[in-house]
Amino acid sequence: MTFPSGTLLAQSALSGVFIGSLYGLLGLGVGLAWGLLHVINLAHFAFAFLAAYLCYQLASVGGMDPLLTLALIVPLFAALGAALQWVLERFDVSPLNSLLATFGIAAIIEAGIQWEWTADFRKLESVYAGRTFKVGVLFVPLPELLTLLLSLILAFGIWAAMRYTNLGRALRALAEDAPIAAAFGINRRAHALVLAGVCGALAGIAGVCLALTYTLTPSQIYAWVGVVFAAVMLGGLGSALGPLTGGIVIGVSEAVTMAFVSPSWAPIVSFSLLIGLLLLKPERS
Amino acid sequence: MFHWIVLATSWNILSGYSGYFSFGHGAFFGAGVYTTAVLAGSYGMPFLWTLPVAAIVAAALGAGLGAVAFRVRNVRGELFALLTLAVTFVLATIVLNTPIDGGPGVYLSAVAVPVLAPSESGSFYMMALLLAVGTLVVAYAIPKSRLGLGLYAIHDDEDAAEVMGVPTYRYKLIAFAISCARAGVAGGIQSLFVSYVTAGSTFNITVPLTVILMSVLGGTRHWAGPALGATAITLLLYASTAADQAMMGKAATGAILVAAVLFMPNGILGVRRRGISAQPAVPLPSGAVPHAERVEASDETRDGARDAMRSVPPDAVPAAARTATARRAGETLLSVRGLHKSFKGVRALDGVDLDVREGEILGVLGPNGSGKSTLINVVSGHYRADAGSLRFAGGELAGLPAHRIARAGIARTYQIPRPFPKLPVRDNVALTAMFGAAALDRADANAAADRCLEFAGLGGQGQLRPGELTLHQTKFLELARALAARPRLMMLDEVLSGLTPTEIDGAVELIRGIRDQGTTIMFVEHVMRAITALSDRIVVLDQGRVLAQGEASEVMARRDVAVAYLGAAHA
Amino acid sequence: MSIIARTARWACAACVGLAMASGAWAQAGQPPIRIGSTLALTGPLAATSLVHKVVGEIYVEQLNKRGGLLGRPVEWIVKDDQSKPDLARTLYEQLITADKVDLLMGPYATGAILSAMGVAQRYHKVLIHHTFGIPSMAKYDMQFPAWSLGPDPGTTVPTTVLKALAASPKPPKTIAIVTSKFPSVHFMSLGAREVAKKMGLKEVLFLEWDFGNLDYGPIAARIKDANPDFLWVGAIGLEGNQLLEAMHKIDYTPHEHFYLYPAPGPMSKSPLANDAMSVTLFEEHPPFTNAPGAAEFIKLYHERAAKAGIPDPTVEVQAAASYTAWQILEAGVRGAGSLDDKAIAAWIKTHRVQTITGNLRFDGPNNYGDDLMKVKQVQNGHWVTVYPKEFAAPGATLQVQ
Repeated sequence: MTFPSGTLLAQSALSGVFIGSLYGLLGLGVGLAWGLLHVINLAHFAFAFLAAYLCYQLASVGGMDPLLTLALIVPLFAALGAALQWVLERFDVSPLNSLLATFGIAAIIEAGIQWEWTADFRKLESVYAGRTFKVGVLFVPLPELLTLLLSLILAFGIWAAMRYTNLGRALRALAEDAPIAAAFGINRRAHALVLAGVCGALAGIAGVCLALTYTLTPSQIYAWVGVVFAAVMLGGLGSALGPLTGGIVIGVSEAVTMAFVSPSWAPIVSFSLLIGLLLLKPERS
Repeated sequence: MFHWIVLATSWNILSGYSGYFSFGHGAFFGAGVYTTAVLAGSYGMPFLWTLPVAAIVAAALGAGLGAVAFRVRNVRGELFALLTLAVTFVLATIVLNTPIDGGPGVYLSAVAVPVLAPSESGSFYMMALLLAVGTLVVAYAIPKSRLGLGLYAIHDDEDAAEVMGVPTYRYKLIAFAISCARAGVAGGIQSLFVSYVTAGSTFNITVPLTVILMSVLGGTRHWAGPALGATAITLLLYASTAADQAMMGKAATGAILVAAVLFMPNGILGVRRRGISAQPAVPLPSGAVPHAERVEASDETRDGARDAMRSVPPDAVPAAARTATARRAGETLLSVRGLHKSFKGVRALDGVDLDVREGEILGVLGPNGSGKSTLINVVSGHYRADAGSLRFAGGELAGLPAHRIARAGIARTYQIPRPFPKLPVRDNVALTAMFGAAALDRADANAAADRCLEFAGLGGQGQLRPGELTLHQTKFLELARALAARPRLMMLDEVLSGLTPTEIDGAVELIRGIRDQGTTIMFVEHVMRAITALSDRIVVLDQGRVLAQGEASEVMARRDVAVAYLGAAHA
Repeated sequence: MSIIARTARWACAACVGLAMASGAWAQAGQPPIRIGSTLALTGPLAATSLVHKVVGEIYVEQLNKRGGLLGRPVEWIVKDDQSKPDLARTLYEQLITADKVDLLMGPYATGAILSAMGVAQRYHKVLIHHTFGIPSMAKYDMQFPAWSLGPDPGTTVPTTVLKALAASPKPPKTIAIVTSKFPSVHFMSLGAREVAKKMGLKEVLFLEWDFGNLDYGPIAARIKDANPDFLWVGAIGLEGNQLLEAMHKIDYTPHEHFYLYPAPGPMSKSPLANDAMSVTLFEEHPPFTNAPGAAEFIKLYHERAAKAGIPDPTVEVQAAASYTAWQILEAGVRGAGSLDDKAIAAWIKTHRVQTITGNLRFDGPNNYGDDLMKVKQVQNGHWVTVYPKEFAAPGATLQVQ
């Protein structure tokens, strides 16, 4: 094994940061719903892919700018997210059952996507796709940069909102102890719906980022579940900054393993890291 | 189909019974798949011989993982699920990158299928059927056994279960190993069935997801639930294999799943069970019940308790206690020396020395935060002492796991009652009879439970769920539970708080009754009246130290006690 | 036949979704020959399976127009194995025991075919399959491949590819081999290492990744670092495109690059894939299109594929291999003159079959014949065959930078 050059290492690490930010963006919605609403939402991934396909449709067939599709996708998926929460709430679904119910919804959405767009690969060729900047010796592709910026803005935005707005404080109080928060006059249902809407919107945004950078196929929905769950747990349930941090840690550790050793050993590093963290510092999560 | 029954049922043995959700069933299944594939495919071992090896490998993997994971207190719920999921990916990577597989997959075409039936597919059918039946028998037997009751208790409240004497660590390991071994055998059979094994199709998230789906659909608390769920989902799967409705089939499967979860949250068999038992009443805070009603109820209870006490059959008196009565000369039963316990720098116990004498009722009092409850928690093993010794009946308790302490003859109640909400009242009591100092078998434990419930005025309530009892009934349940263990020392943590004066009178009599049968009692209390009425001696704690110790009247008269207890304003 | 029975039959036909025989046969009372198979119509393999479904429907329809087989109409029963080999196995058992099909056609892809092969072996049925990638594992003597890799593709395929490069104006001196650990791809890449060594190329990089990998950035960076003359990518499906994109993002264009089993449409459409090479059995240009029946098939396929929503309705390896498999089955039944599996297998083993992908034989090890793989290249957004010369598209040669 030859020692990899500094440029190679830096470029690989950067690639890890980029994919990690996508893990984080997907994980943000999953983690918030899991930690604060006690919903383990597999449908989040299906929502993201549905949004990606919609973005593909609007942009490559309808000729819209992919980023402008956000104007349509965000409200639509916010509504979807809230609707899902309304149903789960209505039937008082336990966290574990929410996993199953949303798995069912994901299957329905997967079938729907295949119905409309077939199982064949779809790739959005947008004006952003080919753009790359050169910073020093490193190359920075535009779609990935957009993903990173979006996830940073959203993660910090939500972090600030949780900390400094009444809505955020109410949500955290609800997650801590719902009956007491309710006793202080916090309307649980309304707040849960708002949060679920935010999570839905996050899925939509993640979907647009997916469409910008990835080739789409319906069964890809499940390819992301494992690693995103890992990022969420690594960062902490219900945390705003955690999933992004966790995602980037996983992305970079895998990328560096790929650069140093062999790509096929990459998963073992991130997941061993996760196991170690769980066993040594379980109270963190 | 049968292999799904096996997988779902075996998963349920750990996860459904004990509540430890494993997302790693794919790992144990995969361990079995590859064990058989490698042994039979590459080393030519006869197929049937590989199955026990597959079981052992999978069980060892599970036990190894459990041995590490179960030692860490907080690895529960989602964290345990994630841990097992991560193990799946790590295992997959190892298999893929080592000669176990290395990439091309393992092909088992040369492996002879054992002849158990006229045709090969018949043989598979037989093997899978045998395994499925075997697994179902195990799943059926466990809830009826000590292990099963222990697992259910772990599911509901693991810490309380440990304190009641359930060896939680060992039980979880056993359940995990059984569960994994079954999954391993299923994997072994599956590897020959598909005869071509690849890492990608073995270690994925679909296996655990499907298994969980099946179990939850069928109902996780029932031994047959997972099998029913597996059957339902497999049938659904086959129903949707027609080519032109492939997508519709997938969507329909999803929709049925959603509907099932929404309308049958406890699974198919959960619905049936809910139909039988009454709608669980919400436990009300004490202030919420109209006063008159409560008094009435408590009068009844008290009368019941009195009657019961008068007619306690001799064999209900704990054997250990009776012998203790004989040497009721005030020998020291529990001797606490230099006990320390800190939480994040706050010294809850700061060098406590005290003795509990055989046959006495020792009242422990002190202001809030003085360390009373911590004392009980440390003695019962709920918390581990930082320093100090706990000598009990000649043995050292400090450092022992809580279930050993319970076995040694110490039982306790919780200030806020912690019954196992999903177990019937009678099982709640029988549990301590089986796992506590009495160590009865199931049948005797049930009989003892009935007697103790009768004694505590809860006769005839045995089939209810704890949630259906009123607050004071729940408190008496705590007492009955402690009593059923036949302890030498019973520690009561504010059993009287929240009760009305009349209810307190009943409880005081009940406690006296217990002592009169020879059980030593140490109780923490705020209600002054009860302390003076009950205590032979009193210990006053303040800021984690013993402030005073001695005869009740003597201690109460001391000025520093009054200052500490009543506050400076009264001094 | 009573109205009820006929209605029932129609309902049944609608239920399994097949190209039903025309009313004339139904009235004549001739029971159809039933051919059973599964395809991965949902799940990760669904994209390519749709191609096989369309081709199968076309072939059965054509066959029935020609008068069916042995004077009987043909009915195709397809089930969805959901991309799961274990389900494929159970469904093949069902097809044989419950649906009582007369003949079998293979599923998609290697894993499912191996499962089906096990069932076929157990019930002594002939299994013709279109997309089996690991000939050394095809141990059953009544299975016949349409994917003409020859018995030892790990050697022969890389040899063809490297020979094509050696004959180019700028033969490579260094090679980088990066590969997915997907079974049917991995062994070929390992073979390519050996062949490259024998042919005197210097290996500057060898990397393996786990199938399902999401981040190709570091792999691309290492390729850029090694900067080989020739890049062999053991990629299946989208992996090729993903790696191309990752290389583009760090501003690296490989000199000569080869992808084993790329998703054909997305790769030829990608602006980054110019000069990308791959292997093929059939492309839509002469001399392939001169094969008997090819032109008609291409026309029908364009029509049906577009209707089925396949984004790139071009006939290439998958569709052609699928068609070939049906041609082998038809030839076998006609040759044997019966539906007897042993007779069909005996006939196929001892005869050559003329198909749109060539004149095939099945008398080699594991019933494999010649390695018919050719080298193709993306030129101006289309795949064109460039090697060997006799199969090259008119005027096309291997382009090198």
